[in-house]
Amino acid sequence: MSILLMAPALLLLLAVFLWPIVHYAWLSLQAQSVFTGLKPVPVGLANWERLLGDGRFWQDAVQTLRFALVSVGLELLLGLAIALLLHQSWRGRGLVRSLTLLPWALPTTVMALGWRWILNDPNGPINGFLELLGLPSLPFLASTQLAWLAVVLADTWKTTPFVALLLLAGMQMIPADLYEAFALEGGRPMQGLLRITLPLLRPYIFIALVFRLAQALGVFDLVTVLTGGGPASSTESLALYAYLNAMRFLDFGYSATLMLGTFVLLLAAALALVLAQRWRRASA
Amino acid sequence: MKGTIAPGPGPTQNTGLRLAQLSRRIGGRMVLAGIDLAVKPGECVALLGPSGCGKSTILRLIAGLDSPDGGSILLAGRDITALAPGRREVAMVFQSYALYPHLSVERNLSLGMELRGVSRQRRQQEADRVLDMLQLGNFRDRKPSELSGGQRQRVALARALLRRPQVFLLDEPMSNLDAQLREELRPQLREILCAGEAPVVYVTHDQQEAMGVADRIGVLQGGILQQCGTPQELYNSPANVVVASFIGRPQINLLELGDGSLVGIRPEHLHPVKEGGLPVRVLNREWHGANQQLTVSSRHGQLRWTTGAAQPINDQLRLGWQAEHEHRFDQATGQRRNA
Amino acid sequence: MSSQPCHRSGSRLRISLVILLLLWSLAPMLWQLYSSLRTPESLLAGLAGLGGGWTLINYTAVLQANPPFWRYLLNSSVVGALSTLLTLALAIPCAYSLSRRGGLLKVVVGGGLLAAAVFPYVLLFLALLQVARQLGLANNLLALCLPYAGLSLPLAVLLLQAAFADMPVELEENAILERFTLWQRLRWILLPLMAPSVVSTGLLVFLFSWNEFPIALTWLSRSELQTLAPAMARIAGSSVFTVPFGPFAAATVLGSLPLLALLLIFQRQIVAGLTQGAIKG
Repeated sequence: MSILLMAPALLLLLAVFLWPIVHYAWLSLQAQSVFTGLKPVPVGLANWERLLGDGRFWQDAVQTLRFALVSVGLELLLGLAIALLLHQSWRGRGLVRSLTLLPWALPTTVMALGWRWILNDPNGPINGFLELLGLPSLPFLASTQLAWLAVVLADTWKTTPFVALLLLAGMQMIPADLYEAFALEGGRPMQGLLRITLPLLRPYIFIALVFRLAQALGVFDLVTVLTGGGPASSTESLALYAYLNAMRFLDFGYSATLMLGTFVLLLAAALALVLAQRWRRASA
Repeated sequence: MKGTIAPGPGPTQNTGLRLAQLSRRIGGRMVLAGIDLAVKPGECVALLGPSGCGKSTILRLIAGLDSPDGGSILLAGRDITALAPGRREVAMVFQSYALYPHLSVERNLSLGMELRGVSRQRRQQEADRVLDMLQLGNFRDRKPSELSGGQRQRVALARALLRRPQVFLLDEPMSNLDAQLREELRPQLREILCAGEAPVVYVTHDQQEAMGVADRIGVLQGGILQQCGTPQELYNSPANVVVASFIGRPQINLLELGDGSLVGIRPEHLHPVKEGGLPVRVLNREWHGANQQLTVSSRHGQLRWTTGAAQPINDQLRLGWQAEHEHRFDQATGQRRNA
Repeated sequence: MSSQPCHRSGSRLRISLVILLLLWSLAPMLWQLYSSLRTPESLLAGLAGLGGGWTLINYTAVLQANPPFWRYLLNSSVVGALSTLLTLALAIPCAYSLSRRGGLLKVVVGGGLLAAAVFPYVLLFLALLQVARQLGLANNLLALCLPYAGLSLPLAVLLLQAAFADMPVELEENAILERFTLWQRLRWILLPLMAPSVVSTGLLVFLFSWNEFPIALTWLSRSELQTLAPAMARIAGSSVFTVPFGPFAAATVLGSLPLLALLLIFQRQIVAGLTQGAIKG
């Protein structure tokens, strides 16, 4: 009977999550593009060979990884700081907490449009501010070196509140008497942070890390609207590249291969994380 | 096998509750090992025993919230062993009372009726009947969180009484109340429970409660019903060491005679004798107003003694007892030996 | 944490940090609001043009475009509401069932749900698109709620399962003895007591569907059917103004308002939902 209750949900889940992976596996072994009249034609491992030699794919992988690591790292640091600030109780804390959630609640594509204006060279407010300081304006979205930083900024702004809330939840599980006992033994607040808070937050930090890393490696919305992958594909993410292959180049077989390839890289990253966690725990 | 009707030793009763060879194994442990119990209509049987002895399991099996591994349950002539819990017409008062926290007292009572299609007029009548019976009239619009522990218990009772069930089950209903409240409520509870026509099974670990509320007491230990009888029977003729030790406070004294038998003597049955008897020395005294509970040392080890007379410590004296107060048990099996 | 030895400088530090935090969180939005009310010339003039130049033409441009902006908000609301209802309808029985059993199935399903919740779903878009085209579900606003519900199920089931597990067992057992059917137990006892969790979960699902981009982008090609997220991308890619940022800002403001309102009204529930998700995760 209880299986019956779970069945509809499980069916939908299988259809939405499992079937696409299976379908991709099949599709990656086909060529389905304009050249085949949009019909699938089995080509064995040709798509995979192409993937391995595809410079753009590997370049995008590096870019995506770089973006993910920097972005998530920043979010953890900022999130921790914000969580510390919100952890103590003071008047108006509830309202401030809700207001800090605003960036997270807004749709990515909506704010991305806003960021295009804020980062605009030379009329956006950031460059206006630099101008005030007598510094030259920076072509955030037009420079291949700076554009990915712009993406990092927009992403950090949006998702830090989520990380902060997660860490805050973790902090609130720590019993207050731990700090009191520590203070009685002469410990200073800064030490309390290092010795008590951080170690006890480790599981929450890990969860935030895994969650955010997975999401960041699949970044798509932000890059599509903010930079379109440019300039010169410098901010192109793996997901965007796969999307372009499907929707613009109409090369479905290769697109499926790219997505599976990204999935494999994701699994590798997850595995690396889990192993690092185990190794760390073993050596602790 | 579930649901087999074991042939009972006597004629099946037309009404009342009958458990036959009920057994239940949980996680490799034999929680119940063949329980036989019959409860007449209007009779209240208390299941008494330490925690983990399986008494709550019996309640859950009767209610249908758990399924036995063997044996059968007959209620009002029907075999309900395989019947769904909702159709057994069983009402239960849980240890936590399980009142619906978001509903008022009146709604707690009437929701079940409403969902069964009872008319509004009838619902009102029935709710008023039990609210009056338990003097809860003034609380009908309150939520459970606005009630005291004793009041919540009464609401739980009211809800169970309302359904005019075939059997009434209570799982340690007093354990959440303080000692004084328990004493006050005991006689009231007995009156309510014994006034009905349904058999009542009452689970508790408190022997005073069992003795005060029940017509008969079943002592459970190790998944076995050690003895089932009136409080007097259990007190005067315990069937084995387990029952003798559980009934009566302070606990009975057990003396080894060295010939494979044990002699049981209750602390209140010891009295000083001029000659003969057992030489003892008083070690310790607890003063309890009407009497004192003393610990004495003897050649049989430390014994308990209850007496009304003032008794200084460190006294040395001789204690004896009357033959009719003596209980003899086999040391190996613990069973009673009749002389 | 232990109190600062010098209380006044501590709280002054805190106030400045809080202000910094609020600036960081709100400045970009406030800038959009400001820009949306400025003429193109004043936007280009930088700080020098601060005096005059207030206007509503950006809003009229956006609201009178074809299709008008409020259309996207309507579409997103419809899809959001439907997705939320569908997700809850599927997740509640599943979460109930999961919370009441133990053993291997629970571990396997639970683990699978966790993995699915973390997975970047954008990678699934191609397969889902091909299914949509095959079944003729493309450009069908209502059909969008199917993949949305599927993608929201992992988180919803995990959150609701935890909520069910928090319900005292005896409450439900008593209802069973009173002959309540499963549906009656859910409707009258369990769900009312779980209402905060249900609301939080529903809100998170609703937010997800407003935010969702790749699937809406590929499934909806007709502009009047588009939800807010892909519509913004379209607006970004086209503009009749030489300086498009005024209308961009107006679009950003209008697009943010509904969710802003939702956040402010339901702040407690949304925070509770996220926090619960964190703890149970």
